[in-house]
Amino acid sequence: MSFDYREVFIEELEEQLQLMDDEIMKLEQSDSEEVVQSLFRAAHTLKGSSAAMGFEEMKQLTHRMEQLLDQVRSRQRPVTAQLIDLLFLALDNLKLLKEDILRNDPSSTDISLCIEKLQTFAENSEVSRPTAASASDPGESGIAKLRLTMSDRLKVQQIQERGQHVFWVRVSIASDCLIKGARAYVIHSKMLEWGEVLLASPDLENLDESNEFSEITLLYGGTQSSEELSVLVSGLTDVESVNVEPIHPEETTLSQQPPAASEKSAGEEVQQTAKIKSQTIRVSVERLDHLMNLVGELVIDQTRIHQVERTQRRRVSDESVNELGHISDHLSRIIGDLQESVMKARMLPIEQLFNRFPRMIRDLSRDLGKEIDLVIEGQDTELDRTLIEEIADPLIHLIRNAIDHGIEGPDKRADAGKNRTGTLVIRAAHEDNQVVIYVQDDGAGIDPEKIKASAIKKGLVTPEEAEQFSEREAIELIFRPGFSTAAVVSDVSGRGVGMDIVRSNIEKLNGMIDIETKLGEGTCFKIKLPLTLAIIAGLQVKLQKQTLIIPMSNIAEIVRVTSGEIEIVRGQSVILLRNRVIPVVDIHDQFKADRTQQSRIPLVIVGSAEKRLALVVDELIGNQEIVIKSLGSYIGKVEGIAGATILGDGSVALILEISALFNRISGK
Amino acid sequence: MKATEQEQYVEFGIENEQYAIQIHDIHEIIKMQEITQIPNVKPYVKGVINLRGKIVPVLSLRSLFEIEEKAYTKTTRIVVVHHREDTVGIIVDRVSKVTTFTDIQPPPDRVGGISGNFFVGIGLSGSGLVGILRLDEVLLHD
Repeated sequence: MSFDYREVFIEELEEQLQLMDDEIMKLEQSDSEEVVQSLFRAAHTLKGSSAAMGFEEMKQLTHRMEQLLDQVRSRQRPVTAQLIDLLFLALDNLKLLKEDILRNDPSSTDISLCIEKLQTFAENSEVSRPTAASASDPGESGIAKLRLTMSDRLKVQQIQERGQHVFWVRVSIASDCLIKGARAYVIHSKMLEWGEVLLASPDLENLDESNEFSEITLLYGGTQSSEELSVLVSGLTDVESVNVEPIHPEETTLSQQPPAASEKSAGEEVQQTAKIKSQTIRVSVERLDHLMNLVGELVIDQTRIHQVERTQRRRVSDESVNELGHISDHLSRIIGDLQESVMKARMLPIEQLFNRFPRMIRDLSRDLGKEIDLVIEGQDTELDRTLIEEIADPLIHLIRNAIDHGIEGPDKRADAGKNRTGTLVIRAAHEDNQVVIYVQDDGAGIDPEKIKASAIKKGLVTPEEAEQFSEREAIELIFRPGFSTAAVVSDVSGRGVGMDIVRSNIEKLNGMIDIETKLGEGTCFKIKLPLTLAIIAGLQVKLQKQTLIIPMSNIAEIVRVTSGEIEIVRGQSVILLRNRVIPVVDIHDQFKADRTQQSRIPLVIVGSAEKRLALVVDELIGNQEIVIKSLGSYIGKVEGIAGATILGDGSVALILEISALFNRISGK
Repeated sequence: MKATEQEQYVEFGIENEQYAIQIHDIHEIIKMQEITQIPNVKPYVKGVINLRGKIVPVLSLRSLFEIEEKAYTKTTRIVVVHHREDTVGIIVDRVSKVTTFTDIQPPPDRVGGISGNFFVGIGLSGSGLVGILRLDEVLLHD
């Protein structure tokens, strides 16, 4: 099996599964024909492609789903809670199968139970089956009619206006014919020579080997009478019998057909999405990464050209230098645009991630007996693809926590005079070249006293230490490893690892996390992330001669203080900034730099996750876009260094890893 | 070990000793450059340089062989080797020539106070004995 096909298949699979997830949710809310149709299509598509890839179990499962959905589509089966649950069950099993495929470990998931459930359900309350799906039922009288869409009806009318006839034609193919699919196709194309074929069932364009059928039903329009057509078709090879019936006028009425109208819009939508799709191509992330690297090189070279131009200008001033200046300016504009475009190509709307939440929250709130309104905002906010992947786990943890610990049960909310239904807001937005994600609930809020008590009980802090904590410091205890506030450990959250993982993941991405909470009113987590990981805005600072770079996303503010303002508390130098005690860190020794004596010392206040510290530097140079390069596998991961970049003058500057600075303090 | 006349080596030196690396392991030889120091790394890793837009770590052979460090001179060179997936610069006092060996002997346990593990063998050339470096060991030394 070709590897490329596998990847394409997996991408399609993921797309379709996400689509199903969304649509089943929608179906639960309102029983719309459009939604059923789209679900049916998704199941059908997956059935086809999984069969082609040889994933037998997935094929069976999607086949059952398709069958069930077909019954819904043809109005033989109402949309019930049981049906929704069953569809979700099937979807979850499909996801498991997907995981198996990703792991290259087919067959580790047992779906037989799920298939059995689907089957029993489909058979039990089975009503009469008058649609195309049952066209092969022997002994049924008349021709199974397919549903006509608005455009089909229009076409039928047009044909009839031309004085031609429209017929339903049912062709039985000889049972000993080995290649029924091909035969059906031949019949179809023959009929196209005689007239028009408006509809065909099974869909001849999407035939695959798994389709078992012995008949095809076609809607045909042409000049022939029904007898003539009968004779014509019977003359074809492998045709056992032919049944021709004129179309019923009722089937073609344009008005008084509300379901048809909605179907039409569904049809139009499909056409539209098809159009949009044809204008995009899939590109592997690897290629985009390569492109990004090349642009990074250009950015560096451009800064160098600019520097050369400046030094030349100081030395000589003639036409050629001016010319160089113009070229350099133009080049930097183009490179800037190029960089932006490449970056945009790597960006995806955060919708990709947010789409997973409605389902998750539905299940969670159901399990926990809570009523929750989910509000998602800013889902079209774009950020780097890798970031979307990395931020998924932390966000899921936060959401779980909000539902499990944050939002109270309905009765408790009613007692507190709040709406029984809690609200969870997940919002993304761009704020000064960063992405900010909020997870906000209107739950009970975090009680600093409870947190302290719990931390003491778990031995994370001593009662004396806890006594000294400010409210904020107490709340920040939830980020300590091994902390969990739930009295009862549920399987939803409260494993005591959640918030710890949240923090470390966000730190890894050069991000920050802030909590705002008010007892009884709710909690808001605010996550700030850089737009991309490859090129960052950085502040250049100097430690004596060495230039260092601090990622802008880590910088909270810059202050200058006199040496008198730096105090020493319990062996740690600190400054007091707006009533917040911030530890001061000096890395001169680490970089073998001598300290310079200054009357006002520049301090860069940096943050990693919810923590802040003040870094002593000698000089502030300014900010610049920089391309992050790794130090290579030979040097490997260096504590405190996130990577390096090449500056305009060609020298290498190291990028500080801010989270490591915090480890230094806590390690003391 | 048999003499391999067709194989060429680049011969270079620190102090009075001569060392060599197979020519096909060598990416290029450059003059001394400004090195950006990196904290918290092994002492013989001097830092990184910018090699035409690529960040390349450099190590000091003197430091690795525990020979006293000396100020860099006009003859100091960085021998940039490409080994496995890594590109690494090795600082040497001077680069002498491209040479071949008439004979290569297995290395003794210690070569002038340096562990024999660092060498593939001792080559015999017109200018005397030359320690042929085992890059695996030089680059992955702990």
